[in-house]
Parts: sequence; C-alpha cells; structure tokens
Amino acid sequence: MRAIFYKEWIKTRWYLLLATLTMFGFVVYSMLRINRVANLKGIEHVWEVMLSKDVVFVDLLEFIPLLVGILLAVVQFVPEMHRKCLKLTLHLPVAQLRMINQMLLYGLVALLVCFVICGLIMWGYMHTVFPHELYNRVLLTAAPWFVAGIAAYLLVAWVCLEPTWKRRVLYSVVSILLLRLFFLASAPEAYNCFLPMLAIYTLLLTTLSWLSVARFKEGRQD
Amino acid sequence: MENIIECKQLTHYYGKRLIYENLSFNVPKGRILGLLGKNGTGKTTTINILSGYLKPRSGECRIFGQNIQDMDPALRRNIGLLIEGHVQYQFMTISEIEKFYAAFYPGQWRKEAYYELMNKLKVAPGQRISRMSCGQRSQVALGLILAQNPELLVLDDFSLGLDPGYRRLFVDYLKDYARSENKTVFLTSHIIQDMERLIDDCIIMDYGKILFQQPIDKLLDGIRRYTCLLPDGYKPSLALGDDFYHPSLIRNCLETHSFLPLQQVEARFKEAGIPYSGLLCEKVNLEDAFIGLTGKY
Repeated sequence: MRAIFYKEWIKTRWYLLLATLTMFGFVVYSMLRINRVANLKGIEHVWEVMLSKDVVFVDLLEFIPLLVGILLAVVQFVPEMHRKCLKLTLHLPVAQLRMINQMLLYGLVALLVCFVICGLIMWGYMHTVFPHELYNRVLLTAAPWFVAGIAAYLLVAWVCLEPTWKRRVLYSVVSILLLRLFFLASAPEAYNCFLPMLAIYTLLLTTLSWLSVARFKEGRQD
Repeated sequence: MENIIECKQLTHYYGKRLIYENLSFNVPKGRILGLLGKNGTGKTTTINILSGYLKPRSGECRIFGQNIQDMDPALRRNIGLLIEGHVQYQFMTISEIEKFYAAFYPGQWRKEAYYELMNKLKVAPGQRISRMSCGQRSQVALGLILAQNPELLVLDDFSLGLDPGYRRLFVDYLKDYARSENKTVFLTSHIIQDMERLIDDCIIMDYGKILFQQPIDKLLDGIRRYTCLLPDGYKPSLALGDDFYHPSLIRNCLETHSFLPLQQVEARFKEAGIPYSGLLCEKVNLEDAFIGLTGKY
C-alpha cells in the first residue's frame, strides 16, 4: 500500500497543495466576511441575519469541494489512462481490485484531510463568535457540498477509468445527474435528515470504478 | 520441453471483423519467440490477450500453467511486460520509478541492473521520464524489466520509435540477458532485422491465421527466392500453386518464394509451360522471407 500511495503522491502532490491553499483561501475569506460584518454592526446583527434571512456566510464555498474532487480524480486517473499506463499498474503482483481500491483510498484520504482542515478552520473561528446552534447550522449546511466533492471524485474516477469514449460521455451525463442531487435545495440545513443516506450513496459510488477497470481488462473498444 | 505459454484455439473479433480463428501456439521454456505479421494481423491483439488485457471471444491462454484471466497475482512477478512504445509512468523520475517498482519485487529486484543501464544514458537520477527521448525511455523500460528479473518477458513492438543505435543496444542487452539466464521471451517488432539477431523461433501471422511457426534456422534453411526472366510481353498466370508464395511480375522479371528445391521448381515451371530463362535460386534473410511469405501488399 505504501508503494501505491507513493505513486499517487507523486502524481497529485502539487495539485493537492494548490487545492488545499485554494480551499483555505475561500474558507478564510468567508470567515473574514463574518468578522467584517460583526465589526461593523455587532455580532448580534450577524446572528439575527443568519436566523431571519437564512444567510450562512459560506455560500462562496458551495461548488469549491465539487471542483476540488473533480480535479483530483482528473489529476490522479488521466495519467493512468494516458497511453494505457493502467496496464502497468494492473500488471503489478497485487490483486487488481485491491490495487484500484488503494488508489481510490488515497484520493479519499487526501480529500478528507483537505476538507477536514477547512471544517476545522471554520469551526475554530465560528465557535468563538457563534453559539453552537449557529455554527452547527453553518457546518451542516456546508456538509452536503463536501460530500458532493467526494462523490464527484468517485464519479470522475469512474469516467476516467472507462476505456471507451462513448461510455465516458454516457457516464459523464449520468454523473452530472447524480451530482445534481447534492444541490437540489439551497436552504440552510435542508439536507440534515438526508445526510446519512447521502453518505451511504456516496460510498456505494466506489464500486463504479471497478466496473470501468473490468471493462478495461476485457479490452473493450468503441 | 516445458511450455511457459500455451494458447489454445484463440478466436477474436473486433465487432464483426475476424482477427483470427482457432489460433494455437506454445512457447517452450528458454526460447525467444518472435511474432511477425503485417499491420492488422493481430500481433498486438495476441500480446493483449497474453497480458490479460483482452478477453478473447473463445479459447484460452495459459502462462505458467494458469489461465491468464484468473491468474494468481503473485505469478505476475515472473512476467515482465513491455507495452508498445515503451510506456512507463511519465510523471516519475528515474529514481522514483525504481523505488516504486522495487517495493513490489522483494527478494528478486536487481537495482544494480537498472542503474547500470541508466548510467549508460548519462541522465541524472532526478530526470523526469516525460522529458526523455523515446530511445532513453526504451532503456528505462528495459532496465526496469531487467531489474524485475522475470522468467518470462512479453515485449510488444520493442523497436517502435527507436533509432538504429538504441535498437541495437536494446537487442544486444536483451539477447545477452535472455541467453545467459535461460529466460523465455515472447516479442513482436516491425523491424525484422532486429528479430533475426534475437529470436530462436518465429510465428508468421497472416490475416486470420498462423502462416508458419518454426525455428528461425529451419525457416531460413528451407525458404528460397526464385527469380527468372520471361519473354517481353509474356503474361503468365501467377497462380503457380500453393508451393509458391506471392509470385509477382515486374517488367519481365518473375519473382516468387518457395520451400521447394531448384530441381522441383524447374520441373513445375516446365509443367506449367512457362518460357523462363536465367532461373536464379537465392537464400534469403528473415525480412525477405517474411515479405516473400506474406506478400508486399
């Protein structure tokens, strides 16, 4: 597993640094926005606006985890499909399913670390200025966006590993529809009841990549 | 002799296009077998089936006695695979790729074999593979296979994109390694002169079938090129029979290849009523034999 993680790290290290810095930038900017309004009009005004107008102040982040997930999958899996490099990976003396799972695990761990750092920064600032009901409200509103980032990573991995262009187009359309589920309601905490289901649904997407690899192994062509 | 590769009754189609039907061949231990064929005869298809990246429509392929489709992953330690175009992880450097592969082959990895070849290239260990020439990449791919030290090497079009110097370097290293360590090699190449220097046995493929499978010495001892002159304006039927391969007429010179001895060829020409003169019988090299057997078109 260390060797696989080493290869994935070589592929993704610069992207991960960029993605983490970008997310960090957006999170810090969102927190500064709250701080600015609090300084100008008082923290009570911020609480009031959040409750009466359904404002969460982190709406800038909505599509960032999605983008980070999509690009991580591209950075990680496009080089594997370039000139069919995946053949080299699958030829290594390790069970092929385990190999693919380890590659996905690397991506998931990288995304989780990136997202958890952002969550901690948000919590670190907000718990000093908001009561727990309010910062929970912000974090729970943002949670489906982060889960969408993970789902996007798994779906794009599925698309990238598919050997034929026709199916890639089809899978891309299906992926867009599946990802739409994460952005159906914009109201704060709209997904609270649905979050556990959404997490299970996202985990199940892991199996899709193996379908693409199985088709690659069979030598499917357009 | 123990067979390392056994392919039985392989049939494959791409869509409705038949690539080949009931193709069977074996590769015995310690032999270097070259697969020769024109473009589109199924060389890469065969390599893909052998390396487990293509499921044939029917038939099976066994390596080390195991079906390639459900092979024990540990057995892949003993198979070195060179993908067409010397593909390797382009995002890695010379030292990173060595470190990566070494982790998968504990106890058999020969780091020094890899670096011996890399030192010849005079490139820094931090050199990224994507910034190397095709020739240099071929040496990286070969070096990794030599370091892996497998029992069987499967090489797809190893000469693709290489200049004569790198081709020669590749062939000489591979030949020395395979001979001295009794390795089994299955390979394809478009450059037949390279094959002649390297292989023990050859399979010559034509569209949909194997035309020949013989030790190369036997093939080259048996096959002859026959040329003769015909009277100006004489247009013979070029259907000389199955013993004559791809007879062709350029101006008034008839050329064909055959395994028949000179006396029998003369007798057959006379029997066919061909007014030939100056019949010449020549031994040929592998490239000429290949073209003679498969035709120029």
